[in-house]
Amino acid sequence: MKTSTMETKFTEQQSLQVIQEMIENTKAKFRDNGFFYLLWGWLVLIASLSQFTLMNIGFEYAWLPWPVMMMGGGIASGIAGYRLGKESKVKTFFDTAILSLWLAFTITLFIILIAAGAGRISWNMANVLIIALYGLATYISGSMMKFKPLIFGGIFSWMVAVVGLFLPPVYSLPLVSVSIIVAYLIPGYMLKSRAKTNGYV
Amino acid sequence: MFKDLDPLLHNQLRLSIMSLLMNVESAEFNFLLEQTKATKGNISVQISKLKDSGYIEVKKTFRKNYPLTTCSITQEGIQAFENYVQAIAGYLNPDK
Repeated sequence: MKTSTMETKFTEQQSLQVIQEMIENTKAKFRDNGFFYLLWGWLVLIASLSQFTLMNIGFEYAWLPWPVMMMGGGIASGIAGYRLGKESKVKTFFDTAILSLWLAFTITLFIILIAAGAGRISWNMANVLIIALYGLATYISGSMMKFKPLIFGGIFSWMVAVVGLFLPPVYSLPLVSVSIIVAYLIPGYMLKSRAKTNGYV
Repeated sequence: MFKDLDPLLHNQLRLSIMSLLMNVESAEFNFLLEQTKATKGNISVQISKLKDSGYIEVKKTFRKNYPLTTCSITQEGIQAFENYVQAIAGYLNPDK
């Protein structure tokens, strides 16, 4: 097809073909390489396990790993997110939805943290609610990407949260560790290997 | 019987641009360039035509001192695209 004759010789069949091709090109290709799941998965796992260990050896400031890890994670995510946003030449509805989801997640997370910090709910209850909350975010992300390991991770987190409601408070940290492995780390590594096979990083 | 095809959309490059923009919230000039494999000059002309007709919105900003053009489809553009697709369907299945 020559460009010069296109105005006149452009048939209906060709126009359908053009539409099809372009739709194919913009199909919500999810190119998640699992970076954020791995980053937060490891940070939460390390923080929860180290708090659990420090509590058991009777260290007064056993909660200290959390602010350190979370601030580090926040900064790293901020930088990575900024870079990603700058690199992408196109903004899909999918991108906007995912971004709003995790923003809403963060705001709700802060409300739970404030509630626990102000002594309105126990920290163990806060842990259980946070497990349920990241279950929600993981489940929605997984559904949007049609990625089953994340969907399963979300459902698993909800189940863990329900169990956590009825277990003695001492179990809430190990429960966080277990659910973060299933909801973040395993899907994160699966996304990473998938990204490698599909040739994007 | 046969509806007239919107001459603005019945053109390979303009239709490509509109189809791309139908599926995204916004796209940079370079994205449209890569996907359509058209030349810069040609695509600029077609973008202007679509913009002048109110089918797309063009935002010009700067990134690191380089001009950055971002395009997005308007409500009018979406309507025109849908009408065009219906008209095409009419041509391909005249019995219906």
